[in-house]
Amino acid sequence: MRLLALSLVLLVGCSRPGSDKVLTIAVNAGVEGTALKTAAHEWGERHNTRIEVVELPYANLFEKESLDLQSRTGAYDVIMLDDPWFPKLVADLTALPRAPDPDFLASTLAVCRQSGTFSALPYVGNSQLFFYRKDLFDKYNLGAPDRWEKVLSSAKTIGGGEKMFGYVMRAAPGNPAVTDFMPLLWAFGGDIFDAQGKPNLTSPEAIEALRFMVELGKVSPPGYAGFNAAEVSAQLLQGTAAMSINWPAWIAAMDDPSKSKVVGKIEFAPMPAARQPGIAELGAWLLAVPAGSPHRDDAFDFIYWATDAAQMTQAALRGNPPTRRSVFQSGELIKKFRAFPAQLAALQAARPRPRTTQWNEIENAFGVSLSQANSGAATPDAAMQQANREIAAILARSK
Amino acid sequence: MTRRIPPGLIWVAPALLVLVTLSIYPLLYLVKVSLTDAHGLTLTHYARLFQDHLFSVAAMQTFLYAAVALAFEFFLGLALALLVDSLAHGRALVRVGLLAPMLLPPVVAAVIWRLIYNPEFGVLNGTLRQLGINTANLTWTSGRTTAMLSVILVDVWEWTPFLFLLLTAGLQAIPAEPLEAARVDGAGYWQTLRDVILPLLKPVILLALLLRSMDLLRIFDQIFLLTQGGPGSATETVSLYIYRTAFRFSNFGYAAAMSFVGLVITMLAARGLMRLMKVTA
Repeated sequence: MRLLALSLVLLVGCSRPGSDKVLTIAVNAGVEGTALKTAAHEWGERHNTRIEVVELPYANLFEKESLDLQSRTGAYDVIMLDDPWFPKLVADLTALPRAPDPDFLASTLAVCRQSGTFSALPYVGNSQLFFYRKDLFDKYNLGAPDRWEKVLSSAKTIGGGEKMFGYVMRAAPGNPAVTDFMPLLWAFGGDIFDAQGKPNLTSPEAIEALRFMVELGKVSPPGYAGFNAAEVSAQLLQGTAAMSINWPAWIAAMDDPSKSKVVGKIEFAPMPAARQPGIAELGAWLLAVPAGSPHRDDAFDFIYWATDAAQMTQAALRGNPPTRRSVFQSGELIKKFRAFPAQLAALQAARPRPRTTQWNEIENAFGVSLSQANSGAATPDAAMQQANREIAAILARSK
Repeated sequence: MTRRIPPGLIWVAPALLVLVTLSIYPLLYLVKVSLTDAHGLTLTHYARLFQDHLFSVAAMQTFLYAAVALAFEFFLGLALALLVDSLAHGRALVRVGLLAPMLLPPVVAAVIWRLIYNPEFGVLNGTLRQLGINTANLTWTSGRTTAMLSVILVDVWEWTPFLFLLLTAGLQAIPAEPLEAARVDGAGYWQTLRDVILPLLKPVILLALLLRSMDLLRIFDQIFLLTQGGPGSATETVSLYIYRTAFRFSNFGYAAAMSFVGLVITMLAARGLMRLMKVTA
């Protein structure tokens, strides 16, 4: 009996670290989350703190975080958030105890601040890049795809000469379609809102951008109107599509022989231009501490540590694009990651999505209209009229 | 004079407590949320319902989904039940095989079919190409005209076994005497089926339709995983719209209003079917 009791005590002792300190972190299920999880466990070991990781897909992450922040349950001590969520969640975040240092890129810091107060630190410096098959462009003597018109003509040339599609894009309703459309919209001189903050999708520039997107759809794989990131990347990795907008998280896979049939053949370029210079959409992942967290001091200690130059270098080696200039300019990393100069240039010029607490609803309504236009259920004109009406209704309801 | 508490009340009290806690109270809270916004009590959520074009589209598509899926599942389930019932040997083995899709979690089934439906790399289009069929326009869940049928097919594959199971049990409960009498009277198979088997099976049929239709009106898993309501809003359903309104847009009042209206419609449909069952009995 004494032996049994001793065994039980030892078992209980072994299953718990020598501390009752715990830090709960909500992360995105993907490359970004993987790097943060690794950093968190490392920090936990150094500080004798148990780390509990809640890993969720993108949409579920927003829901869980939003519910926790609104109800202040204190379920999470640190959260990863996509930068468009920041305006909606900022009221329930804790302001940073000290301002971020100037090594962070200005474009990434801009989305961590509201009314002059910083409430998050930028962790993943995501901005879109244009992925294209350089070997095929060289084969057909096509210049670099620096303009959208050239993208379309090159897609037709390559699609006609090879057994593949010239272009592939995300056009599933909601976030996927909007994400791939924004660079086109900006390049053609349009935007979602005008200078007065009113919906502006019925402008000639915006309609022309959507018509162009539908034209690109004609050189894309059938069914692209339902594609998300996984389908687009699969087409590139399998060598069945020649060009796409994509995120830096996929760069490592493109050069990984175990996943890619096009190792070394994909080049990464800035967004093509049209009437305006090409602008990439910013998609930075931020780290923040909810106001309801019961372990705020430890949480801040962790996020400042995770975003310092040394840790960010480690995260970069694990596949995360950094948000610090010094890390992007590190000789060691530039040798390892050939796309770093292009990523830095894109990130510095990247534009965030409209900063509004209604962004989720707006993106959903806009994305449905874009998907309808791409599936042929609506003309580009009708789709933009519908999107404009619905966004106006969303804004009216929020007042 | 003291009133006696009915003794039966004491015995049902625990069940009543559970019912009130888990059903009645949440329902009342739902109604309260649906009548409230940031400014207090309001009917604006219900007023918006009647002007919301996407809700109308979602409702019509939900009914369409339910009607088509139910029809396929019923006739296929009945045919399989009759077929298996007529087997002299191997009934048990065939039943186990037929029940397999129903045993999978809906999420797993949806993921499997998502891979099957992939226009470029999926096994469906791959097989069709091997047979010489041009699959360029067969985009299944991404096609405006094929998306709804594609998700219905997944539901039929997964839930026909449920109807098969219920109808098999019903067939086995039919007494042998009427069937024997019909045979003696010289009735053929189809006449026996029409005039003896189906009338005796009617209560089970109505029960199966009632249970399945309530599930179909609540459909969410397959749509969420296969199409997210797309392309465009071609496969948008009420449950998906409610989910998105509540958890992505944080508009709990409007989501509660839609939920309550959906509940009322489902209850009315169920009541109609139950009345039919009583008439039949």
